[in-house]
Amino acid sequence: MNRLIEGGILIWLGLAILVAFLIAIPYFASDYWITLFILVFIFAVYASGWNLFSGLTGYTNFGLAWFIGVSGYVSSLLIADYGFFWLLAWPIGAVFTSIISIGVGHILLRIKGVYFAISMVALTEGTRELFGTKYFAPITHGGLGVPFVAGIQLPTLYWAILALAFCTVIICYKVFSSKYGLRLMTIREDEQGAETLGIHTTREKITAFILSAFLVGLAGSIHFTYQNYIDPSFAFNINLTLTPIVMTLFGGIGTVFGPLIGAILFTFIHEILWAEVTQLYMAVFGAILMGLILFFPQGLLGWMKEKGILPKNRKL
Amino acid sequence: MSQIGPILRIEEVVKKFGEVPALDHCSFDIERGSITGLIGPNGAGKTTLFNLITGVLQPDTGHVYFKGEDITGKKPHEIARKGVGRTYQIIRVFPGMTLLENLIVVGKGKESRVIERAMELLDLVKLVDKKEDYASELSFGQQKLLSLAQVLMLDAELILLDEPAAGINPTLQNELMTLIHQLNSQGKTFMIVEHDMNVIMSHCGHAIALNYGQKIAEGTCKEIQDNETLLEHYFGK
Amino acid sequence: MLGSVYALVGMGLTLVWGVVGIVNIAHGEFVMLGAYFAFWAFSLIHLNPLFSVLLSIPVFFFVGVLIHRQITERLVKQHELSALILTFGMSILIWNLAQFFWTNTYRSVSFLSGSFPLLGLVFSQSKTVSFGLAVLISAALLLFLKYSSWGKAIRATSQNPDVALVCGINTRKMRMITFGMGIGLAGTAGTIISLQWVIFPQMGATYIAKAFAIVVLGGLGNIHGALVGGLIIGVLEGVVTQYVSAKMAQIIPSATILLILLLRPTGLFKK
Repeated sequence: MNRLIEGGILIWLGLAILVAFLIAIPYFASDYWITLFILVFIFAVYASGWNLFSGLTGYTNFGLAWFIGVSGYVSSLLIADYGFFWLLAWPIGAVFTSIISIGVGHILLRIKGVYFAISMVALTEGTRELFGTKYFAPITHGGLGVPFVAGIQLPTLYWAILALAFCTVIICYKVFSSKYGLRLMTIREDEQGAETLGIHTTREKITAFILSAFLVGLAGSIHFTYQNYIDPSFAFNINLTLTPIVMTLFGGIGTVFGPLIGAILFTFIHEILWAEVTQLYMAVFGAILMGLILFFPQGLLGWMKEKGILPKNRKL
Repeated sequence: MSQIGPILRIEEVVKKFGEVPALDHCSFDIERGSITGLIGPNGAGKTTLFNLITGVLQPDTGHVYFKGEDITGKKPHEIARKGVGRTYQIIRVFPGMTLLENLIVVGKGKESRVIERAMELLDLVKLVDKKEDYASELSFGQQKLLSLAQVLMLDAELILLDEPAAGINPTLQNELMTLIHQLNSQGKTFMIVEHDMNVIMSHCGHAIALNYGQKIAEGTCKEIQDNETLLEHYFGK
Repeated sequence: MLGSVYALVGMGLTLVWGVVGIVNIAHGEFVMLGAYFAFWAFSLIHLNPLFSVLLSIPVFFFVGVLIHRQITERLVKQHELSALILTFGMSILIWNLAQFFWTNTYRSVSFLSGSFPLLGLVFSQSKTVSFGLAVLISAALLLFLKYSSWGKAIRATSQNPDVALVCGINTRKMRMITFGMGIGLAGTAGTIISLQWVIFPQMGATYIAKAFAIVVLGGLGNIHGALVGGLIIGVLEGVVTQYVSAKMAQIIPSATILLILLLRPTGLFKK
């Protein structure tokens, strides 16, 4: 089981240096690079969180923005209107999202296939519209949005999201190499067959859904604190769902490190595109998406595993 | 739970799809340690019966008892954990997982013990050399063996096999039937749906015949073979 | 009455989904392209929009066939997520290009802007003509599917592609034709929409949301269901806008999708 570790102390040493380097970034890098890395890690958590649920169970969650928006709204409102300390507001937002996700999961995870994907989009869009109406305005400030200042320094925010991204990767690694991960995978492979082999598929998929909601929600809270602003069309934006999915596909769906690699590569591609072809940014993005699906469906890690560059190991 | 009495009791089970009864007041017992064949023409309700026993479908009325306990309305995974395993007519192993993973995922308990047991079972079905291959790379017959190994991994006491011999070559078929007898002598109870009457006659002690969702005959294979009504229904004589 | 046009969009989506097995997220963008087609034909060569409607049927059919041949046929046997992502990519590619070339300006076709009284009510000319056209096209589609040999082959492919293949039906060709018809319906609906509503590059998004609600209401692949579903959504929208608010009316598609999927996942109607 320990093939990776047999690879030697070198790998561990390399990892340690990498982590030390990442922790040290705020001491020498400019604000531009710090913010860029903040975005990389926020999206790395989104993508890994999406992959943790959808990559394993095969239930395509097209409502990732719902996790992000709900948690972002709760924490932002707590900071803006009730003067909560950010470190307290973030987990409250994430826990709140996880708790509602128990209900949502119980109801919507009975729906299979494309219908589940559509129902999550509908949930997200519906919530977005509702938050903007006058009925919700007393709480959400309606469509005007909520500007706020959390009083957090950029380096502190960077370390917070770095820590979360690190924990998320560790959690994914643990899940993917465990029997729990295998049980989740049977749902993707053949849900009914898994049930008649004694696997409690409902319980497994709902716990994965909640875990995904918690991690993504926490990153969402940090995201909006970083932006100092939240409004419905921003919080529940379809791009917050799609970008992490694209990153995951890019790096390799159903792999541990694929979403992370995808997030890193894609954030930089995004920066370049945005700077070079602002007007046609979305068109190029769309073309890349189509190209990925047609010519590169297994993603970078999947491709490397297939070509034998990397071992076919669930731990990668 | 009693250790005496039948391992499985089907009591007055009715299941309708729309207006059409797939099972119509069907009742019988399966004795512990037996190999029972379930026969009948297409659409007689055999697969529906398996689905009802394993909880994939719920009966409209009637009850299913396993080891004296009423399991009607229980979820499939609960019934599986109680010791009822099944294989499907169309094979349903997990294609994107390795053989070893296919078995480990079913096992309960300590990791090392589970892996050990999985290796024993792969050895038993002669697939141990392919343990790191994906299940999708196996032949049809090999997938059937893997499917059986999964059921054994579950430690099922009652094993329902849906057309185990169909579509695989005679050598593998013989291997499979030998394995079934071997497991039977270790105390496993089998229920087999099969179209090939020769398989039923040479391997099952008992047989139950269904037609239009009703039990039309039950007895030893010899009795079934001599049963006039059945012959009329089944062989169209 | 806009419901009848929604129904056209919904029928196109459900047809492709049911027969080809592809959920076309870019469907709404073809509605947008249809609307621009009528707009440019009208403002550049002064083509009568009613003629554009007729012309758009073969044009968009051909576009759909081409797209399917070159791209989407490859996705038929793949995981449904692939098609979702690919058509989403196509969707943002198309609207961004439209935005780039045609800008974000709201445009409209000023044609048939009068109104006429009938039975004591005032009817807008453009709305009445749109309604009539939509009904006509729907009827033609239903008749085509029911009686023509292609229509029968398409229905067979939708019910069981393997059996259809064995029966000598070229399922590949049928998928291509169906995709063409789906896009054709979307484009034509767009030209009809241009008669009475503003045109802008992102308009596809609102129509795809409604189309999904219609497909879910009517049941996947159910053409008749989509027709009725379209009318229901149209009426609901009118009523809510009138008595509650236009803002609340925007929630209708999402709310419908969630409610129907939870309460009656197979749609309201039997096939």
